[in-house]
Amino acid sequence: MKKKRCVAMLLAGGKGSRLHSLTKDLAKPAVPFGGKYRIIDFTLSNCTNSRIHTVGVLTQYQPLELNSYIGIGSAWDLDRKDGGVTVLPPYTESSEVKWYSGTASAIYQNIKYLTQYDPEYVLILSGDHIYKMDYEEMLEYHIEKNADATISVIEVPWDEASRFGIMNTDTNFNITDFDEKPKNPRNNLASMGIYIFNWKVLKEYLEKDEATDGSSHDFGKDIIPLMLGDEKKLMAYPFKGYWKDVGTVKSLWEANMDLLADDNELHLFDHSWKIYSVNPNRPPQYISPEAQVSECLVNEGCIIEGDIEKSVIFQGVTVEKGTSVKQSVIMPDAVIGKNCFIEKAIVSAGVHVPDGSIIRPEEGEEEILLVSEEMFQ
Amino acid sequence: MNKRLIGIIDATTFHEELKELAVHRSVAAIPFAGRYRLIDFVLSNMVNSGVESVGIFPKFQYRSLMDHLGSGRDWDLNRKRDGLFFFPAPNSDNPYFGIGSLEHFADNIDYLKRSTQEYALIANAYTVFNMDFGPLLNYHIESGCDVTEVRHQNKPMGIYLIKTSLLIELIETRHETGYLSIKDITSDINSPLKLCQYEYVGYAVMINSIKEYYSANMDLLKPEIWQQLFIKEMPILTKVKDEPPTNYLKGAMVKNSIVANGGLIEGHVENSIIARGVRIGKGAVIKNSIIMQKSQIGENCVLDSVILDKDVRIENGTMIKSSCDSPYVIRKGTVQGAWINS
Repeated sequence: MKKKRCVAMLLAGGKGSRLHSLTKDLAKPAVPFGGKYRIIDFTLSNCTNSRIHTVGVLTQYQPLELNSYIGIGSAWDLDRKDGGVTVLPPYTESSEVKWYSGTASAIYQNIKYLTQYDPEYVLILSGDHIYKMDYEEMLEYHIEKNADATISVIEVPWDEASRFGIMNTDTNFNITDFDEKPKNPRNNLASMGIYIFNWKVLKEYLEKDEATDGSSHDFGKDIIPLMLGDEKKLMAYPFKGYWKDVGTVKSLWEANMDLLADDNELHLFDHSWKIYSVNPNRPPQYISPEAQVSECLVNEGCIIEGDIEKSVIFQGVTVEKGTSVKQSVIMPDAVIGKNCFIEKAIVSAGVHVPDGSIIRPEEGEEEILLVSEEMFQ
Repeated sequence: MNKRLIGIIDATTFHEELKELAVHRSVAAIPFAGRYRLIDFVLSNMVNSGVESVGIFPKFQYRSLMDHLGSGRDWDLNRKRDGLFFFPAPNSDNPYFGIGSLEHFADNIDYLKRSTQEYALIANAYTVFNMDFGPLLNYHIESGCDVTEVRHQNKPMGIYLIKTSLLIELIETRHETGYLSIKDITSDINSPLKLCQYEYVGYAVMINSIKEYYSANMDLLKPEIWQQLFIKEMPILTKVKDEPPTNYLKGAMVKNSIVANGGLIEGHVENSIIARGVRIGKGAVIKNSIIMQKSQIGENCVLDSVILDKDVRIENGTMIKSSCDSPYVIRKGTVQGAWINS
């Protein structure tokens, strides 16, 4: 194998249990997003756009749909003779089955994959976030600062800081310590789960951590504190721009709604940083004479006969006559029957909502409703 | 006996009445229905009918056609065995004798000789339809035909089925027989061959004039026709683009229209076909029109019965009105300003 400067390892084994039925049979990175995409498209497209063409994707939880979606990576131009995308599931050894017990152990168990490319740097990514980022710029920063590890951080509102892993830094962005979900945060720089390590250093610490009894084998909880303890140089890389963890039904809905805002920062229409995905190849959408469409994203293969407003409509969706859909996300191939009213909901893929259904939050409720097939059985 | 087919797509046709849309491209590559090219229909039908080897025989201006088809990946024809082949006419002075020029085939006879498929399906590249060729092949075999001509509403469709070995024989004996094309063979009343006809029922339209092109696009707005063309199990495949979903902005009003991906729509659209990546500005009104890929329509424009080819830019406040009987065609890549009214 040719030596690579930087290899990306994308952690895509997340269960995403706070997405409830959406992730019952589906890994979180494969959850549909933005009318056309799946969550993982953003990270994979960032890799391609950042000219990182060697990507290991670590899968574990419900991998069937995710694996077949990734395929050989052609959708992201990652089908390469040298490098490209490689799906890395857990495997058995002669004596035991080695499930990925933590983010660090997942990488540890794939040291062989990394060794064959003998990279200078390893980029650790997660397939759970919606953002556009040039990893090449982060790598330049890492090299310029002569760091052993660089962690991408984003400023979060102080009152939300206790929900995140917080990096405490000095004024030059040297990381001094790490607080996982601190009750009384001392800083508001949240870790984005994006790390660049010098491979030699990372390998040493992965091996050290593996040998440590009682370690949870997690980058944030174990590897980073271990390196800080040894006075390694850890830098925070301040990222500015749109970044969202879509770990809950509410945040998934919000991130979809963000795409409809006039000032949305994700710029899906920016051709210089395209988000690639497996294109479904459906006919164009048909908007009937009775339909009303306003402030929506609508994908191919849809038939719209009702009113849709401030909504994100995935491929192959049918909205029948007399129906009104507001501030909702309708996932692929769902059929919304006649004379329905749907507001502030996520309708799961393939669900058939019967005629006359009314789905909206209770008066005064903030909750986003997740509509699944079971509701109508 | 093997019941497999090779597909031969004759993409040499040039229709004078389609000239406006075929200046830079072959008729086979004319955009249709917002995201397709005319050739997609016959090619997808072949693939959906189990054809694994397709030879494309182009002649004029085939750069955009080659760009569109590429390696054939979008049709699953990028194969080690069989797949997609291009056989451009070696010289463009060869006279045109109709679909299936035996001279053109003769130049590439190795393709036919190497094919292991027992039957060959020869088709034009400008018919919009969704047809399963399986029943046609069964009919051809069961009736013991030599050449079967497919007809629609009792008119020839420019689609023929023949045994590959017989096709090779006819190509090799063309100077003795005087046959110049498949059409010559099927229209010879004294032919010793068993000539059959197969009636295709279902929607089909051959695009050979601007008027036909326009009305076939508008036909798609009728759900009963749409449903005959776009069938989930028999999808019309095309080159995919990584366009985001279409964004309908505040103030957009769209009625009875077909819209492809990647659009940014702020204006009013009615009875129209909007292709991929089109932008329609605030206050613009588009009616009865076909807007092709990546065209941009400025604010407060009024377009009625217009065919906008690709990459056309219409400046703010421009008004272009024509009639459905003779839609106005604006050529690819041009800029239209308000002066057009004067």
